Order: sequence, then C-alpha cells, then structure tokens
Amino acid sequence: MPELYFQRPMPHGGKLVEQVITDRRVAKKYLDACKKYCAFYDIKPTLHYKRGVPVRNVYREIMSVCYGFFSPVEGSMTSAELESVLTKRRLLSGWVFPYPILFDISKEDYNKLGVSEGDRVVLRLKGKPFAILDIEEIYEIDPEELANRTFGSPETNPEVVQEKFDDKHPGWVIYRSHHPIILAGKYTIINEPIFKPPFDRFWLPPRKCRELMDQKGWRTAIAHQTRNVPHVGHEFLMKNAAYTGDVEPCHGILVNAIIGVKRRGDYPDEAILEAHEAVNKYGYIKPERHMVSFTLWDMRYGNPLESLLHGIIRQNMGCTHHMFGRDHAAVGEYYDTFATQILWLKGIPSYGFDKPVNEVEGGLIIRPQNMREFWYCPVCKEMAYSENCNHSKQKEKLSGSLIRGLVAEGVQPPVVIMRPEVFKVVVKWWKKFNYPFVNERYVQWKEEELEVDLPELE
Amino acid sequence: MEYTLEVFLDDYRLNKIKGSSVEANIEAVFGGELKVLRVKVGEEVKNDVLKAFETARIDSRACITDTPVAFKRALFEEIAKQKSLGEEVVKAVLGRINEIKELAAKESDYLPAPDIETD
Repeated sequence: MPELYFQRPMPHGGKLVEQVITDRRVAKKYLDACKKYCAFYDIKPTLHYKRGVPVRNVYREIMSVCYGFFSPVEGSMTSAELESVLTKRRLLSGWVFPYPILFDISKEDYNKLGVSEGDRVVLRLKGKPFAILDIEEIYEIDPEELANRTFGSPETNPEVVQEKFDDKHPGWVIYRSHHPIILAGKYTIINEPIFKPPFDRFWLPPRKCRELMDQKGWRTAIAHQTRNVPHVGHEFLMKNAAYTGDVEPCHGILVNAIIGVKRRGDYPDEAILEAHEAVNKYGYIKPERHMVSFTLWDMRYGNPLESLLHGIIRQNMGCTHHMFGRDHAAVGEYYDTFATQILWLKGIPSYGFDKPVNEVEGGLIIRPQNMREFWYCPVCKEMAYSENCNHSKQKEKLSGSLIRGLVAEGVQPPVVIMRPEVFKVVVKWWKKFNYPFVNERYVQWKEEELEVDLPELE
Repeated sequence: MEYTLEVFLDDYRLNKIKGSSVEANIEAVFGGELKVLRVKVGEEVKNDVLKAFETARIDSRACITDTPVAFKRALFEEIAKQKSLGEEVVKAVLGRINEIKELAAKESDYLPAPDIETD
C-alpha cells in the first residue's frame, strides 16, 4: 500500500529559502555594523503611475521571499535573471518562476542613496529597520516594457491571451508603476515584523505549515487559492476537489489567501481570512481537515502565470495538490477562461511550456486538480457540479456580482448561497470600515497601517 | 425587447409588501431560499437607466445589473408605494435621479451596514 501513497513534495528548487535572523542579539550586531557602513532606505508603497494611489508594497515580496513562500527566489532579480524569467519563465538555476521580483527605486532616491554594487542597504519599514539588501547589481528598466513583457500579448501569446494588457489590468499597472532603477540582490530580514490581528492567527510560513501538516497527520493536502470570502459554491469546490488524493481523499484542505492591495469591489483582507475560518469554525468543513493561511503578495491577476506562482507557494507550504477553477486569478477578458487549465494540462509554448508544468525540467511537483463549475440546481435541489448535472437550462449560478449586489443592499444571502456565519463576518468588517468592499479609503488606510508592526531593534 | 430589473427581498422587504397585490408576483430562486420581484421595462427605460448610471450593464439574461444600491433601494420603495411592478415605478425612480445620483456618489465611500449582531 505505501507505494501508492503520495509523499509531501520537496520545496520548489529543493530547499526552503529562509533568510530571517531570529536571534535579536545577532540582528542588533548586523544593525550596529550597518550604522557605520550602510545606506538606509525607507520602503514606500508603489503608486499608480497615473492616479497616484497605492498599488503595491515591496515589503510583501520581501516577506514572501525571506520566509520561503517564493523558494528558490532569494531576492531582487539581477538583469540576467529578469531576462530569463521574461523569456523562459525560468530562473537562472533552471527552476520555473513566472514573475519578475524586483526592488525598484526612483532615480532621485538612487542618487540620494549613493550606493553601488557590493554595498548593503538597510531597508526600513514604518520607520524601523526591517531587512537588508546586499546589492549584487544595479540596472535600469523601462517599466512599460517590463509590464508588457511580463504578461505578453495576443500576438506573442496567442494560445491564451485574448486582449492587449493595459491600465485596466491591475497586474500590468503594478509593473508599469515600478521605478526605473533596480537594486538586485539577496534580502535578509533582520527585524521580524509582528502581525496584527486577525492576520496573526493565520500566518503560516512554509516551514511552520509543513510541521503543522505533519502534526495533523496530513499525508496529502489540497490547496485552495482565494481572494474572496467563500460562498457556498467555493465551499463545494473545496469539498469536492478534495476527493482527489492517493488511496483516499486528501487529508487536508489548505486555504491560502492572497493578502495585499486589491481591486475596488473585492472584500477586505480581514473579512476574507475570518470568513474562511468561519467555514471550519461552524462545522461546514471539519477544522481537523481545513486550515486557513495567507501569503503576502499584491496580486498580479495573471491567470496562468499567477497559477504558476500559486503552485510554487503551495508546494513550498507542503501541499500535494492544487485546485484550479475557471478564470483562475483573472480579471476582465484578457485571458482564455481556461488558460490556467491549458497550462497545467497541455502547456503554453509561448510562455516557455511546451509540456504541462509538471513535466518540464525545473517544473512543479504539486498536482493540479482542474475543476469546472458549481451551480445551484433547482431540479436536483442541491449544489451541482456542471459535469454531472444535466439541467443546464434550469441552473442558478452563484455569480460574484449577484452576491455583491445582495451584500451591498444589506440583504442577507440565503444559506444555499452564503453561510450565515460567513455573512456575519462580512458585516463585522463592514461595520469597522463603513463599507463592505475594498474602496479607495480602505486601500489608503491599509497601505499606511499594513498588516504588521515592527518591534524596536535599537 | 424586454429587460428585467431584479429586486431581492429579505424579511424586512417582504413585510413591507405583505398583503399587497405585488405579493403574488414574488418568485423564489435557489430552492425557494431567495425571493425576488422582477420589473420588466422596454428599450426606452432601459436606455434611460444605462444613461443614468455608468456602472449599469445588461447581462446574458437581459437583466439590468450593477446599478447603484441607492437606485435599487429607491426602486423597492417605489414598488411598495405604488404596489406595482410596471414600468411606471422605474420612471418614478428616474424622476428622482438627481437625489439618487447624489446618494450613489457617496456609495463608494459609505454604505450603512445591516443591523445584525456580529461577534
């Protein structure tokens, strides 16, 4: 029998990246030495290149790199690595990676910093020392070219890209809004941030997550990507996708929310996490089998590219499977509805995948579980899977706009659409922010407050 | 062509129209769990709604969606007042368009939360 069991996959690249100095005496020594020889830089949010509103904070990327979510990436990419990612979606080591990870600063800040290759910079967050960046290379980019090449176009990626990316696409805007000077090199966190409630309850870096899976006896675990509060369709997706496994259904469902700047109309991060927690807290899925966590990342909404990053993160966290639905991490009509499933089932040659992601060299081990849709069927009188239920004329779809419309009007969604405890969580945070969804005010507030505070190090 | 505006009903709204002639037109969806009233409008009124609110759109079911909450609330109030699902209720709401647009403009900053107990 054991020969039929799946093993927990190794981290992507073979080893978890962990670049966090946890011994505060050692961290202070680093800082003291830096005071004599290093430049200091205050991390600022990336602002929309036209509208000036926050669209990203690089601190989230530094956290995700240093705690191993993005293993084997160790820092801000060199020009050669950036080129390799843009042309082949591979790091220089050959491991698959979809997106540029860059520490960008303005020309003005660069001139003020006065650093060169071989220098170390202390990065401050909220005015306090946070991390160090050992500069390996300094180079200049053209942000518009970076944005275009990151996502591709209908001409260069005709298999899945349907529309030219533009400033209505939040991920394109993030790269378009990068500053032109890149400081490339390895990050090390010297002052561990402290997560604020409710984020503190859900912070599970890959090593800790793997340990917890061992403690829970989860041989197999399936990841659920989310940027939404769960409606009953999501719940059924989780429950049914988890029927895959090895000789028995997956032992665990790992919900991993993406926390960072979001689109207007999304739900606040705090509500997303607690709403997923409500699913297990109130017994819709047993807490022994369902765990909520998050990754810090300002979502790029890159559908198949984003699915690669999701696969990497969740493989690093120890999952054996990853569920993918339609329009995975998508916005608008830029991609084919099933672009992610095409990537994982057939490959997308123009993105560097002439075979499925699991079959290419340097690819992923985590297995895809590609799912279609769930709808409410009034004939079957249940939440039905589109590939089972043949009452497509009578189907009642749970669309996000339907539920947002109900929520905005203050009409409690019925239990077959959204669990009452989930709705209560939405209302709890609605009362706090005076608004049920992400709006300009929330984004501004969030980027001032962030998810963390930093302790004194000096 | 005919277009539809859907007005969802919770207990509060159901009570407001209890015993009225529109009560017979309540439709049940999602296994009877969600009650809805459907107001049918013609081309001209549909165009007026789309013109009034830039977020409004027609979905694949020929439903007019993504209108501001202030518009939907006013529409329900008008249905309850006129006890009708005819086009005239939408016209009456559009007659208060300036007031509704003013409320809609504030919607991106503030929406009153429902009065339910939370932890």
